[in-house]
Amino acid sequence: MKSLSHTLLKLALLKLASVAVLVVLGAAATAMAQNPRIQTSQLDALAAKASQTVDVNIDERLIQLTARFLSSKDRDEAKVKDLVNGLKGIYVKSFEFEAEGQYTEADLEGIRSQLRNTAWNKIVNVKSKKEGTVEVYLMQVGNQISGLAVLATDPKEITVVNIIGPVDLDKLTQLEGEFGIPELEIERSKPKRKN
Amino acid sequence: MNIDGDYLWDRTGEPDPEIQQLEETLGTLRSQPRPLEIPADLQTESRPGFFSGIAPRLAPRLAIAATIVIVLLGLGLWLGLQRLQRGQPPAVAPVANVPNTHAPAINPGSTPQRTPNENQHQVVTLPDSDQKHSDEPRRHRVNPPLLAANANRSLNQARKEVVKNPQLAINELQEGRAAKDQLMLALRVASAKLNFAQRKMQNTNPRDPVHNQHKIG
Repeated sequence: MKSLSHTLLKLALLKLASVAVLVVLGAAATAMAQNPRIQTSQLDALAAKASQTVDVNIDERLIQLTARFLSSKDRDEAKVKDLVNGLKGIYVKSFEFEAEGQYTEADLEGIRSQLRNTAWNKIVNVKSKKEGTVEVYLMQVGNQISGLAVLATDPKEITVVNIIGPVDLDKLTQLEGEFGIPELEIERSKPKRKN
Repeated sequence: MNIDGDYLWDRTGEPDPEIQQLEETLGTLRSQPRPLEIPADLQTESRPGFFSGIAPRLAPRLAIAATIVIVLLGLGLWLGLQRLQRGQPPAVAPVANVPNTHAPAINPGSTPQRTPNENQHQVVTLPDSDQKHSDEPRRHRVNPPLLAANANRSLNQARKEVVKNPQLAINELQEGRAAKDQLMLALRVASAKLNFAQRKMQNTNPRDPVHNQHKIG
C-alpha cells in the first residue's frame, strides 16, 4: 500500500514537474516572441558595399546617461528628454549605396521574418517607385507601445530603425526640424519654429 | 472472506482465516532489516585536491595562502576604486579646457568627413566626399553651421555639467556627449522616415481617408 502511494506520489510530482517545465518553456517562447528588439546583424555584410553607413546602438544605460546631458530648461532638449524618457533602446542601421542593385530582397528577409511575428502590427506601408518603401511596425502590450520598427528601403538605401519602449510617435514625428534636426522636405501644416 | 471486521483495519476483532493465510504467505516477503555490507574488494577513488598534485603536504597551507592573496587583491581593488573616486574632482576640473576630442571635428565651411568611433556600440560613417550629396536631393543633408553650433552648445553644457557635478567622471562625460550625438542622429533618422511615411500617406489621397484604410494595418 505504501509503495503504491509512493509510486502515485512520484507520478504526480513527475507530471507536475513536466507541466512546470512546459509552462516555463511556453513563457520563455512568448517572451521571445514579444521581444521588440530586431536583430539586424545580418545586414552588416552590406557595409562593405555601402558608401554611407549609420549604425547607432543606444541601450537603456546610454539613454539614461544621455538624459543627464539634456537640459530640462532648454525647450528643445526638454522635448528630446521627454521623448527618450522610459525608452529601453534605440537602434538604427542605415546603408546608402552609390549604385542600385547592391542589395537583394534576400538581405531584407531576415528583418521581415522577424517583423512577421504576430506581436508586430504593420501600421503603415508606403510604396513608391521613385522614393522606395517605408514600412512602420508597432508592438503593443495592452494599450502601450512597447516597440517601434521602421524598415525603409529604396534602390540605393536600406534603413532599419528599432526603438524599444513606450515611444510617442507624435513627438518623434514632430522632432524633425528641431534641435538641429533638419527638416527633410516635409510640408507640415504647423508653422515652423524659428531657432 | 470477511472484509467487514476490524481485523483487516487494525488487527482487532475476530481474525479471518483467509487473511491470516495471506499474511503468512506474503509475510515471507516482508522486508528484513540487515546491516550495510560493504564488499571488501570495493575500491574507492579519492578525488585529488587542487593542490595535492603539487605538494600534498603543503595543500592546506597553499589553500590558506591563496585565500589570503585573493582577499588582499580584492581589498586592493576596492581601495583603488575608492581612491580613484576621491581623486576625480581635481582630475575633472582642468579637463573643461581641454579641446573636445570626442566631438566631431566640424568646420563650418565643410562637411564633416568622418565621425570618430567613440563607443564600441556606436559606429557612424559619414560620406567621404561632398560629391555624392549633390545628385541625391532626397537624402538628408547635414547643416554644418548648425551642427557646429550644436557641438559648441553641447560642449558648453558639458562644461557646465562638470562644474555643477564635479563627481562626474571624464569618461562618463565623453561617453555621454558621444551618446547624445548618436541619440540625436538616431532620432533624426527615425523622425525623417516617419515623416516621409506620413507625408506619403497624406499625399496619396487626402480627400478619401477611408480609401486609404487598407494601408493602415
